[in-house]
Amino acid sequence: MRTTWARGLGLATAVALIAGMTACSGSADKSSQGAVGGGDYTGPKVEVTFWNGWTGGNHPKLVAELVDKFNAEHDNITVKDVPQEWADIASKAPMAIQSGNGPDVAVLHGDDIATYAAQNLLLDASEINKTLGYQAGDFPPGVYDKGMYDSTQYAIPWSVTPLGMYVNKDVVAKAGIKDMPTDKASYVAALDALKAADIQGEWVDSFIFTGTFEFESLVWQHGGDLYNKDVTKATFNSDAGVQALTWMKDMIDKGYSPANVAQDGNLTALASGKAAFNWNGIWQTTNASMADVPWTAVAVPQIGSQKAVWSSSTHWVFPANKNQDKNKTDAAAVFVKWMNDNSTGWLKSGELPAANKIRTAPSVAKDHPQLEAFINELEYAHYETVSPGINEANALITTAISEALTGKKSPKQALDDAASQADQILEKNKAKYGA
Amino acid sequence: MPSLAPSRSRAPRRIVAGEHHRSRHHGRRNLRAYLFLAPFLVVFATFIVTPAVFGLYISVTNWSPFRKRIDFVGLANYIDLFTPGALASQNFWQSMGATGWFVLWSVPLLLIIPLLVSLLLNQKLRGMTVFRTIFFAPYVLGVAIIGLVWGYIFDTQSGILNHLLHSIGVAQDIPWTVNTPWVWVSLVGVTIWWTMGLNTVIFLAGLKGINTDLYEAAAIDGAGRFQAFCHVTLPGLRPVMLFITTTTVLASANMFGQSYLLTRGGPGTATRTAIMYISDQGLSQNNMAGATAMSYILFLILAVISIINFQVQKDRTEGRGA
Repeated sequence: MRTTWARGLGLATAVALIAGMTACSGSADKSSQGAVGGGDYTGPKVEVTFWNGWTGGNHPKLVAELVDKFNAEHDNITVKDVPQEWADIASKAPMAIQSGNGPDVAVLHGDDIATYAAQNLLLDASEINKTLGYQAGDFPPGVYDKGMYDSTQYAIPWSVTPLGMYVNKDVVAKAGIKDMPTDKASYVAALDALKAADIQGEWVDSFIFTGTFEFESLVWQHGGDLYNKDVTKATFNSDAGVQALTWMKDMIDKGYSPANVAQDGNLTALASGKAAFNWNGIWQTTNASMADVPWTAVAVPQIGSQKAVWSSSTHWVFPANKNQDKNKTDAAAVFVKWMNDNSTGWLKSGELPAANKIRTAPSVAKDHPQLEAFINELEYAHYETVSPGINEANALITTAISEALTGKKSPKQALDDAASQADQILEKNKAKYGA
Repeated sequence: MPSLAPSRSRAPRRIVAGEHHRSRHHGRRNLRAYLFLAPFLVVFATFIVTPAVFGLYISVTNWSPFRKRIDFVGLANYIDLFTPGALASQNFWQSMGATGWFVLWSVPLLLIIPLLVSLLLNQKLRGMTVFRTIFFAPYVLGVAIIGLVWGYIFDTQSGILNHLLHSIGVAQDIPWTVNTPWVWVSLVGVTIWWTMGLNTVIFLAGLKGINTDLYEAAAIDGAGRFQAFCHVTLPGLRPVMLFITTTTVLASANMFGQSYLLTRGGPGTATRTAIMYISDQGLSQNNMAGATAMSYILFLILAVISIINFQVQKDRTEGRGA
């Protein structure tokens, strides 16, 4: 009885949502908060549990503000914000969802979605996407599809966090550099000018943050990719991969970068005026230790044959809890839509809202000039690989970079060794995640 | 601690006597003892025995939090670890090697340095309590703080340590957390700085337990300070030494936080310890079955080492006293 009743109610909600959407779609200007897309939930009062990994910086405050605002505007939905470390979510969520104690809605990184989806831990979100009216074109190219695994859409994009190049303006001025480098020739010229002024321009490190992101950007720039199309074989040891890692090693060998840079040593160097450039994530725009640094950010220069840059993405997912209450999922969908429509404030977190209409609003460029370079990069950004358990294979990329940059192996040898291990992991993952 | 051996040899006799004279009270007394032990036993059973047994079960299955059906796979997870060239065995034994290397360097230093420090702290001088506190202080810090603080100190180009070394004429930027062999120097060094306080305090307690008459007797017999150390102090510390060696070997073999935070297991995977690999496999890569098998192998190896340690350091006077 109860389930039929609930299902009927869910259907009614869906119909109401669609009706609301069509009503609004003609006049986008009317889309003030709350009413956007007819994001209404008319069922009984529910509490929606929301798990997210935003524990650092000003994130917890910003999320709490948004959630409070949402709760104030919605009488029959109370969202409970449960922030915890990303790693804790990864280790807790599977068991919690299986036992029915998981969240009703969560935010995951793009490279985690497939791992969850393969284990049947997520609800198919195609209907929700349809109901809310989301399409790939509402987000930067490539992001929406990162929520797809095995031809099923499991997620709705929330934010993107590309890599960019931070520049210490005082340091480049010392070397007489007027124009910011954009390609290989101008970048090498700038590095040479800095070297002549006794400055090591860009410090290359061998850690995930951010050597790995730099390497991956360079692989794509050289026309390569990290894995083959169906992610059964590592391809980061292709010519493009070898060229990318050789470029990074050459940075050290040619004296543009010191050797053995420690984790975050490159950002410290930029902040203390020892380095001119640092390839780093958009999240550093809100780093408090950068507040007094005369920095600006530009697009990462194009070293290879095409424009490309690494970016991460986060997505909304709807966990398939044991005995999941359909009302809660419906209410969660309303919450997701509301959050995406009200995500302007999220710019302050150092992440870019994925929703195009928010990010491309004229006021954004005006209020957040430091984000402009990152926003423009989204045209050609690459996102993380979608495949269950991919992070174990990805870790080998960092191992290879570390071995090559510390001189343990040649770039090719290091990448070949990592790729052969990664292939074995991909093979094992097939069995492990039952693909 | 020094009275451990005699009391151990006396204990059986007392129970025998009790049984003989007051057998009626014996049961009630045992019951009372068990009642007092019960709270600990409950905790022990819940958090140690149950997970350990469950782990053993997991290690012979293809257990995964996601699988609807769990199959018994026999020793497959263990055989994997002994198949040359297999991914798991390659990585596991490489990280076991890293752990062994760390134990080899850290344990002797964590015995010798605290012993010497405790001898110094055992002097009856003013302000000794302050020094004792200073030596013990790092031990109360969490590994996260240790990682953060030493990360700043060890930074290759802007760390304080290299800065200090430059001022005394070292030209090189030493890659403390980035390249071999320096990563080992930093990991062992940080571990000593962090944990030597505990061993020092235990040694100190052991020193206090040595009867001062023995030193007087040794002095009368014409023993110098070094001879007194060899023939009075060291034998007097034997039970303490056994305890410290065992716990230090176990602690070093379980090293995780230092390399996880300071070197990220690098360069490459050179400083990835066994616990680091096991926890990654079990908790992050959904390979709980394989991870438990690895844990049991690590456990067996540590058990064997501990038994050897007990045998080697056994109090040889025990037999004579009984």
